[in-house]
Amino acid sequence: MRRFVMVLACVLIPSAVGAGPKAMVIEDSIEGHILPRFVRLAQTSDVLAQTAGRACTGAPDALVRAYWDAFDAWISASHLRFGPTEVEDRAFALAFWPDSRGKTPRALRKLIAEADPIGLSVTDYAQMSIAARGFHALEFLLFDPGVRSAGDAGYRCRLVQTVAGDIAVTTAAILNDWQTDDAARLRTPRAQGTYRTQDEAVQALFKALTTGLQFTSEVRLGRPLGTFDRPRPKRAESWRSGRSARHVMLSLRATRDLALRMAAGDAAVRAALEDAFGRALTRLEALNDPVFAGVADPQGRLKVEVMQQAVDGIRAVVQQDLGPTLGVVAGFNALDGD
Amino acid sequence: MGQRTGRRQFLGGVLAAGLIPKPTWADAGAPAFLSAAARPDGTYVLCGITAPLEVVFEIDLPARGHAATAHPRRPEAVAFARRPGTFAVVIDCLQGRAKATLTAPEGRHFYGHGIYSESGDFLFTTENDFEAGQGRVGVWDVGAGYKRIAEFSSGGVGPHDIKRLPGRETLVVANGGIETHPASGRAKLNLPDMQPNLAYIDDGTVTEVAMLPAEMHRNSIRHLAVSAQGAVAFGMQWQGDGPAAALVGHHWQGGAMQVMRTPGEDLRAMAGYIGSIAFARDGKRICVTSPRGGLLQTYDAVTAQLQDSRPLADVCGVAPLEGDFLVTSGTGVLQRMYRLAVPHAVPLMWDNHLVAVAA
Repeated sequence: MRRFVMVLACVLIPSAVGAGPKAMVIEDSIEGHILPRFVRLAQTSDVLAQTAGRACTGAPDALVRAYWDAFDAWISASHLRFGPTEVEDRAFALAFWPDSRGKTPRALRKLIAEADPIGLSVTDYAQMSIAARGFHALEFLLFDPGVRSAGDAGYRCRLVQTVAGDIAVTTAAILNDWQTDDAARLRTPRAQGTYRTQDEAVQALFKALTTGLQFTSEVRLGRPLGTFDRPRPKRAESWRSGRSARHVMLSLRATRDLALRMAAGDAAVRAALEDAFGRALTRLEALNDPVFAGVADPQGRLKVEVMQQAVDGIRAVVQQDLGPTLGVVAGFNALDGD
Repeated sequence: MGQRTGRRQFLGGVLAAGLIPKPTWADAGAPAFLSAAARPDGTYVLCGITAPLEVVFEIDLPARGHAATAHPRRPEAVAFARRPGTFAVVIDCLQGRAKATLTAPEGRHFYGHGIYSESGDFLFTTENDFEAGQGRVGVWDVGAGYKRIAEFSSGGVGPHDIKRLPGRETLVVANGGIETHPASGRAKLNLPDMQPNLAYIDDGTVTEVAMLPAEMHRNSIRHLAVSAQGAVAFGMQWQGDGPAAALVGHHWQGGAMQVMRTPGEDLRAMAGYIGSIAFARDGKRICVTSPRGGLLQTYDAVTAQLQDSRPLADVCGVAPLEGDFLVTSGTGVLQRMYRLAVPHAVPLMWDNHLVAVAA
């Protein structure tokens, strides 16, 4: 018994400050946050696949709109990286980014150049390299002038349909797992389960929140910022479709929703979170730079840096205020991660 | 600065007078171990610890340290900044002050580990060529005041720990497989296709690369221990969802990798994360720590079976002690693993690694 208590004590150093009961936090996160997001992702992805089935040449408005909605739905769920999204690398198959070695355009150009039959079947395409699947591959097919004019137009059209169909299959599988299995696992921890205790379930949610915010700060904003001497605007996420700042906005809104649900009854923590998220979202709006092109000049760069600092401000509130109320404070070495 | 400042000042005076031509570790209070630590006031230090567990010096560091490496002969150590740091400090452990600073070349950063050549003439550091996303090993000429003289491939991506096989100049590098870029902090950029390995390097050339089975490609090989017999033990950090298959492995150069067998619950309790690893002096046991699991485990290196698992909050540093292991924690604990005495609790948060001084 003593050993058990000590093991637990160092995973989760409990705090005297109480939030609402953990079961309530878990239930609200599942019903109010997780499930609606994966329902919306599956629905919009289905619409995307159907729309692509009807028209796919020259990026007609309906297809772009459907792409827009489904990609929005993914970004709004993309911090929920545990359980069903990680089975068979589904999340990476939906969004292979950052692509630091340019694997996505290379794989697509090869498929198109060879008119590879794997691009004609949604079922077969599940075996394709994840770099050629998902929303970023579709972005190249719909928005990149080079890929849009490569090879045979008929094949490219079929490939768009296949990639969209593959996205629909993947998102339906994620939703199905959440609805039939993983929601129950998270809701009802048990000794041999994925989550042994409510603390572990809360910790999984907290980790999704912190890594989601880390990704927005260090990758979505950090990649285009590059270094002062070498800013990298073309490393912004989805700049080809003009969605870079939109992704930051969507991910901040999504993580705000989760953070506030986790803060539950603690009014002071909720207020601190509202304040920090509000400041970051206001700055993003004021930035008015959809693809962070401004990082290339010193003044514009400063504004994006300030934006990044605002996201880091949220991260600090989450670690210092929300973490302790949930009892998920990690130790000096446990937090280091090296 | 140090607890025995008087002694060191005295020795400094003696040195200045030229009475000790070749200072040794004994002159620096004979520390048997080095460890970085954080003080309660938020400053960082490198500490020397003797075999009876006395802290004989605390030398200020400019930022949080990760690991240190001790010169094989001279009382001199290099303390590395936490990843992705671009500096490392060479510390004169006799005078208690920095004698040189290593700065990573343009386009490189350190990973927090390094090792001296057997002679002590060269220092090797694991580095990231972050634009290429490739691991490098930097070579520094100790005699020339730690001048950067060369670099070569680490044999993979994201090299972390580096050690030397006993009695030889063969280096062994843990290529963790994870690509990072300083513009993106510590965010992992290539998890879907990461490919960790253990690379052996002779004369700047990778001579052997050992890899895990494909289904374990998300097991980042991070920390190494080398036995006096030349076996290499490695501790891993699982980057996949769900439980890891194993977190500890063992390799002899030229052989196949062997992973340690851990019962499901004991494996799960390690939270997918090994922070440090050490071989017992006789090479028969391997001790690993998990600060995230708050556990230390020992394995039989021959049978590859778990022998023992015991809790210690925020444990991380581990090093061999005659017939035992010495462990440190982020809560200030400094204690022997087996011969339980009252643990030394000092007002220091011991950082990741406890490094044995060879002399």
